[in-house]
Amino acid sequence: MIWIDGVLVSEGKGGVYGEKMLRNCRIWDPYRSKLAAYYHKGCGHELQKDDVVLYLGAANGTTVSHVADYTECVYAVEFAPRPMQDLLAVAAKRKNIVPIMADASRPEWYAPLLEPVDLLYMDVADPDQIGIASRNSVFLKQSGIALLMLKTRSIDVRSDPGDVLAESIARLEESDFVIQETMWLLPYHQDHAAILCAKK
Amino acid sequence: MQSYWFGDLDGEGCHPFVGSPADQAARLESIDTDMAAYIPVAWEDAVRCGYAKNREDYLQKLRNLCFFIAEAKIADHFTSRDIELVQMVRMLDELDDVINLLTERAVEWYRTKNPSFSRKYRSLTGRRVIQVMKKERDRAFAEIIADIEKLQESRTRLMRDVTALADTVIPNCSALIGGLVAARLVSRAGSLEELSRLPGSSIQVLGAQSALFSHMRTGSPSPKHGIIFQHRRVHNADRDVRGRVARVLAAKLGIAARIDYFRQEIDQDFLRASQEAVDRAGEGT
Repeated sequence: MIWIDGVLVSEGKGGVYGEKMLRNCRIWDPYRSKLAAYYHKGCGHELQKDDVVLYLGAANGTTVSHVADYTECVYAVEFAPRPMQDLLAVAAKRKNIVPIMADASRPEWYAPLLEPVDLLYMDVADPDQIGIASRNSVFLKQSGIALLMLKTRSIDVRSDPGDVLAESIARLEESDFVIQETMWLLPYHQDHAAILCAKK
Repeated sequence: MQSYWFGDLDGEGCHPFVGSPADQAARLESIDTDMAAYIPVAWEDAVRCGYAKNREDYLQKLRNLCFFIAEAKIADHFTSRDIELVQMVRMLDELDDVINLLTERAVEWYRTKNPSFSRKYRSLTGRRVIQVMKKERDRAFAEIIADIEKLQESRTRLMRDVTALADTVIPNCSALIGGLVAARLVSRAGSLEELSRLPGSSIQVLGAQSALFSHMRTGSPSPKHGIIFQHRRVHNADRDVRGRVARVLAAKLGIAARIDYFRQEIDQDFLRASQEAVDRAGEGT
C-alpha cells in the first residue's frame, strides 16, 4: 500500500468522486471506505499488483476505483440500478473494472463470466452475508484470501454487534474458511468488523 | 462441459459463440451453471478459442458484454412506470416540507416587520398567511413570498399528476385508498414489486417504522397503522375499531397490490368485496 506521511493514497487518475489529491495521488479516505479504514487500522493483507479481485457490493464504485488502482482486474458486482449507473461511469474510465449487474447471493448467474480470483472482498448489506461469502468462495484460488466487511447491523439490528461477530465467525469456520484476523473498524465505522480469512 | 460467456468447452475442444451483444446476453441468461461441477473461466481458453487476442482483448470483450447487460437492465428498471411514480410522490412530500419550512421562516420575519401580527384567533392556514404577507412592500421579502406561492402551484399540479398516474399504474390500490396514499405506500415499499411481496401486516405499519421498532425493543404497544392512517376510513373510524379497519384495509391492499403488479388491470369484483369488508370492519361491534 502507498502511504504519504501517514495518508493512504492510490495511484490513478483522480476526480472520480471529488477525492482530494496529494502529490498526484488520490487520497483514500478511511471514513468513507471500509477498506481504507481497514488499512488505517494497520493490518493485514495488502493488495498486489497482479491480483484479480471479486468485489461484492460495489455500490457507487468509490472504493472499487481505489482497488482498481492497486490491482490487475476487479470484477465488481452490484445489484441496485441507481448505484449501478455510477459504477458504470467509473468503470467506463477504468479499463480493469468489469461491472456485473447481478445479485451476489446468486453466483450461478454470473459464474460464466468469472475467472479464479486472488481476493474476495465483500461489503454487502444483507442479513445473510456469511451465506453469500461461502457461496462465492468457489471463485477463490486455493491460495486466495477473503476479506469480509461485516455489517453487524444489517445482520441483526437487535443483537449486540459483538455477538453477531462471534456467531458469524463460527459460521464462517463451519463453511469453507479459516479465520486469520478480525477487527472492529472503529473509530472510522460504527458496528462494522473486518474479517480476513483464507480458504480451507 | 463448461459453458462460459464466450462459448462452450468440452473434451473435444472449444466452441466459441458468435453473435451480437443481445444474443450473448440472452445466451448467458439461459446458461444453467451447476455450481458443484463449476470451474471458473481460464481466460487463456478464450484466446485458444480464437475468441480474444490476449488478456487485454479478453477483458475488453467481457466488459463490452457486461456494460451491455447492465445498461439494458438499468433501462428496463427505469422504464417501469411505478419507479417514476415513486420519484414523483417523494418530490411531492419534499415540496410539502420545503413549503412549510419557508412559510414558517417567512412568518417569523414578517412578525419583526409587523409587531402586532399574530395568527391567533384568525384561521390563517399556510395558504392564507401567504396571502396576508404578500402585501408587504420589502422587495426581497416579496420575492420570497412569490417563490413560495409558485412552489405551492407546482405542488398542486404535481399532486394532480401523481393521482392520475397512480390511477393507471396501481388502479386497484388507488381505488381502495386513493391515488395519493397508494402512491406513498409504493414509495415507502420501494417499488410496486416490493409492495406486492409484502404481507398485509407489514403494509399496515409501513411508515410507522420507529413505533414498530420501539415496540419490538421495549414492548411498548404495537403501532396500529402507518401511512394508511391518512386514508379517511382509518382516521375517521372510532378509536376502538380503528385498528381493525387498518388491519382489514391493509390485508385487502396486499391483494390489490398483487393484482396491480401481476395483472395490471382493475378487478371490480374484488374491489366491491373489499370495500364492503372494510366498511363492515368500521361499523363497530
